[in-house]
Amino acid sequence: MPSQQAGFAPNLGFYLKSLKAQPVESSIENLISLLKRRQITNSRPCAVATAHLLLQVVAKFRWTNVDKLIERIQDVGRRLIEAQPREMVVGNIVRRVLGMVRDEAKEERNDDASDSASNSQMGSPRQDHSDQGASHLGGPPPSFSPLRFSTTEDSDSTEANGDDVFGGKHQAASRPPLITSHTSYAPAGGLPPQKSMFQLLSANPSPASTPSGAQSPHNTSSLNASSLAHRITTSSKDLKAEVIEGIEEIVDELDQADDRIAAQSLEYIHSNEVILTHSSSKSVQKFLLEAAKKRKFTVIIAESYPNDHEATHKSVTRSISTDAEGADELSTPKFSKSLSDAGITVILMTDATIFAIMSRVNKVILATHAVIANGGLIAAAGARIIAKAARVHRTPVIVVSGVYKLSPQYPFEFESLIEYGDPGNIVRYQDGALVENLEVDNPVYDYVPPDLVDLYITNMIVADHYKSEDINFDKPELQ
Amino acid sequence: MSHPQKGKVAAGGKGAAKAKKAAGGKKSENDREDTLQAVILADSFETRFNPFTLETPRCLLPLANTPLIEYTLEFLAMAGVADIFIYCGAHTSAVQSYILSSKWHPSASAASPFNTLEIVKTTARSVGDALRDLDSRDLITGDFLLVHGDLVSNLPIDDALRNHRERRVKDKNAIMTMILRAGGLGEHRTKAKGITPVFVVDPGKNRCVHYEEMHPLQAHKYVDLDEELLKDHKDIEVRTDLIDCGIDICTPDVLALWAESFDYEVPRRHFLHGVLKDYELNGKTIHTEIVDDRYAARVFNLQSYDSVSKDVLGRWTYPLVPDSNLVAGQSYKFERGSLYKENDVMLARTCKAGKKTVLGKGTSVGAGSVVSNSIIGRDCQIGKNVTIKDAYIWDNVSIGDGSNVERAIIANEAVIGRSCKIQPGALISYKVGISDNTEIKPNQRITRAKRKRDDDSETEDEVPSDPSTVGSSGHGYEFRDAEEFSDDDEAAFHSSLIYSTQHLNLSSASISTLSSSISSADEPSGPRSRLSSFTSLSDDGDNEGFHHDAVQGLLDTLHEHGDFDSAKLEFMGLRLSNDATDHQIRRAIAVAFSKHISQLVDGDQKTEASKAAASAFATSGAVQFLKNVALSTGTEEDAVDFLRCLQKDAVHRGSGPLVLAALCQRLYEEEIVGEEAFLKWWEEAEGMGEDEDVEMKRVRGKTGVFVEWLREAESESESESGSDEESEDE
Repeated sequence: MPSQQAGFAPNLGFYLKSLKAQPVESSIENLISLLKRRQITNSRPCAVATAHLLLQVVAKFRWTNVDKLIERIQDVGRRLIEAQPREMVVGNIVRRVLGMVRDEAKEERNDDASDSASNSQMGSPRQDHSDQGASHLGGPPPSFSPLRFSTTEDSDSTEANGDDVFGGKHQAASRPPLITSHTSYAPAGGLPPQKSMFQLLSANPSPASTPSGAQSPHNTSSLNASSLAHRITTSSKDLKAEVIEGIEEIVDELDQADDRIAAQSLEYIHSNEVILTHSSSKSVQKFLLEAAKKRKFTVIIAESYPNDHEATHKSVTRSISTDAEGADELSTPKFSKSLSDAGITVILMTDATIFAIMSRVNKVILATHAVIANGGLIAAAGARIIAKAARVHRTPVIVVSGVYKLSPQYPFEFESLIEYGDPGNIVRYQDGALVENLEVDNPVYDYVPPDLVDLYITNMIVADHYKSEDINFDKPELQ
Repeated sequence: MSHPQKGKVAAGGKGAAKAKKAAGGKKSENDREDTLQAVILADSFETRFNPFTLETPRCLLPLANTPLIEYTLEFLAMAGVADIFIYCGAHTSAVQSYILSSKWHPSASAASPFNTLEIVKTTARSVGDALRDLDSRDLITGDFLLVHGDLVSNLPIDDALRNHRERRVKDKNAIMTMILRAGGLGEHRTKAKGITPVFVVDPGKNRCVHYEEMHPLQAHKYVDLDEELLKDHKDIEVRTDLIDCGIDICTPDVLALWAESFDYEVPRRHFLHGVLKDYELNGKTIHTEIVDDRYAARVFNLQSYDSVSKDVLGRWTYPLVPDSNLVAGQSYKFERGSLYKENDVMLARTCKAGKKTVLGKGTSVGAGSVVSNSIIGRDCQIGKNVTIKDAYIWDNVSIGDGSNVERAIIANEAVIGRSCKIQPGALISYKVGISDNTEIKPNQRITRAKRKRDDDSETEDEVPSDPSTVGSSGHGYEFRDAEEFSDDDEAAFHSSLIYSTQHLNLSSASISTLSSSISSADEPSGPRSRLSSFTSLSDDGDNEGFHHDAVQGLLDTLHEHGDFDSAKLEFMGLRLSNDATDHQIRRAIAVAFSKHISQLVDGDQKTEASKAAASAFATSGAVQFLKNVALSTGTEEDAVDFLRCLQKDAVHRGSGPLVLAALCQRLYEEEIVGEEAFLKWWEEAEGMGEDEDVEMKRVRGKTGVFVEWLREAESESESESGSDEESEDE
């Protein structure tokens, strides 16, 4: 990890380094402690840490069959989620890995079945195992599940493929309230796609270049070809290697998510527009910087006092990567140019002026901490005020979010997802009278209901990353 | 290992070999090759948490339902410490078994972030002993953190560490960096009440140049600074606002210094003060890192237990808050208004669990009960219509219907009967039973601990229950520890939950040893009026400056046999600038003379009181000064007041009675105070009868002979010849 100063305090960088050397059990406990102590916070670092940990869990797990592996991942996932339930990406990553393992297992079983004539001696024991694994998989989905689930592979690939094009086109072309892209996993979902993550990735190397319908035939054929080639190789490969490869692809995806979102920016930001945003999210900054390469526009940034104002100030003027911590959202060295350096007219203002300025704003672009199953956001505190003000002025609200932030969870009390931070950011601890006599609440996040959001921009097409049986894997009582 | 460049500050070979995180590093540019060590002083060798610490070590007392040492270990884990040594005094086995079953011990749990964790058994009786023992063991290889087992902090110490090392590279003598939290100038609940630590800091160099502790009963609020300090340092800050959280970054030299001085017992009052004072001798410097961000405090007595608990519930210690569930098995959830509830809490529909409250697993609260600002542990049974306010209730406590608990601590497995009233400040220790309809008085401490026999043998006896305290069917007796009655006011500060100076014995001798013998203001005239005397103390408080300066000036004149004419000018100047009253002037003069004479009497020469008094009055202009300034109006009331001042002051002097008698005699002979005034003063004192303070009575005892003689002299109209008779009394 870059930008380490001589220090002992553990963070994401140290954690990733320690992973290989340590026994898995220590790594798990270590991450649990880091999450509890809030030494790894925010969506991306949490997702990265979880993915890397699961990679180790799978790599070092001596497995006999797929069921055991799934159980193991579920167990680890449960412990991680329990440690910090408000970092929802942890659960998302675990669910995605689970879903991928199930897919792999199923694919393998299918392949084995078709190849059974040629290598029956080898195939049959393995098939037994994977059959056990698939027995969950093939079962009818629970009725309450927000996911539709289909077991036929062939129809899947075409349907999913159709969905790709469809979703991609919409995402790129339409601004008004569009819920298709995110509702594919929500109860109102239309098409039931069934695809594993890395297939999607290999099929759509750059979602930004997919909006034109002209590309879709090419896409289709390439997908078919690649999936075919893929399937041919699968049978000879070890399932374990497949899973590890899959997790590595998730890691890559996490790494590239912001760039992929940013690549679409020209579709949404036009010349001479006035854009309002808040906090120091890396996703939004990249999005704006990418657009700034071609267009001139104005950005108004609400400083998001008191939890993020310092980082926000820095993002406007100074290069951020030099002194940001590894756990910070803005940590990669690639992101070093400040908004004003990039030629954007930046106006920094206090949170209180949001409503006053809203009438002049063309678009609101928000980052989010997580997107929950109803499409609502758990975003940095202040997001709801902005979204409300935007609604009053009929200003479109665009949310940029990596797919990994989309959570299938739908809590009954949103309060429980809001983290309350250090009141010392609001009131100085030195002020004895205030400390003694006041109750100081410092919510770090806001809940933004889905009807306040007009558009979600993600790094890739929203497909079914999560399997229905994994949605509530951390809550046994709901399964 | 793959860390080529080894910093010059590095701890030593052991570090690199142990760096468990380093293995995966490819070309890491950070110098993390050495590990950080820490020493936890789990026992503070004090009795401030009695009666609880009779049965449990301090570091295992629950703070917001989590043992104190968990917070300390979390802090160290947060800081990235690799090796930990825990020093225990009392109850070592309890600490040991706790640590072994916790997630912290590296051999017992995969979750431990530490490489080694060693519990060092020692027979130490003070912090000093423990550190000298540590020095002899050769465990420490480089810079280490010294913390107490009752530290609660979320402070990142990387900056402090870096600064410490930079200083250390430049100057080998920079042996220690203390991390101190700024506490603001106003009142603050977490600042140390009672004893105020005073740090004198050179802000440019972040160097601490002087340290002193102030006692609340100390009459003067001054720090004596060596004038050399003012020459050597351009800027100096005298800070009393700092919260001393006891986090010290030490070099091994610190241990060597402890080892050199066998009389150091505590880290601040002895070690810090001593090392700074001996700077000329040893050349070691101690630095400060004053932080005004994040949280750091120690739970060093019951009042700080109270305030730190509130800070934890107010989330000032974030992320060390209950809903982070730091200890395995906890399941706290946060609800708005700082209500923290674990799973399986049963609340009756009509009960009110209010704000800033923690409820542990398995606890049930009955109908109509009200709980507010309180921390309740696991498996507690709270009956119906119980009121619990500002209280700390640990695990497995049962409280009967209709009881009322306010601002008290109730330890594990205590049973409170029905309709009991637990008054503020009460401490109810483990397994105590209180029978129905009992009232526990404020600040009462009740325990069931076995007591060691007086003959120092190892056998422990069950102490019979005291029905007058805990009721007819209760279990327990009122706890009194022996030390507290030996005039140790400091202990009394710390061992009560509610901070108060009211109950402290103001006239006890310990004050004069703490303050530099300048007496406090008006003494209480009797135990019953102490409260009112306190108000008068604070009334005079504004002019404490005058009093101190005036006394000091006069003393200098007396010591040097100087000229009172110039002293008088200075004195009157002071009086005008401070707008002092006649009474204050008389008090200052009385104190100065009394102090001077008693110093002569108690000093090395052992001058006789009468001679000492004579020499004081022989100072040029002294008699004139007394007549004109002390008794400027010449009325009888003034003279009586002056005598009373003398008497009050003499209370503090070792040879008070003698000094007073000698002074009275002198005053009479020099015709400063007339015999009518003497007699009137005496009659007033006698007239008080039973109300008179014992001390006051004792101190004027010797003067009785003189007054008798005055009376006789008056009646017989004789004069001079009696003085010989008087001197025989001395």
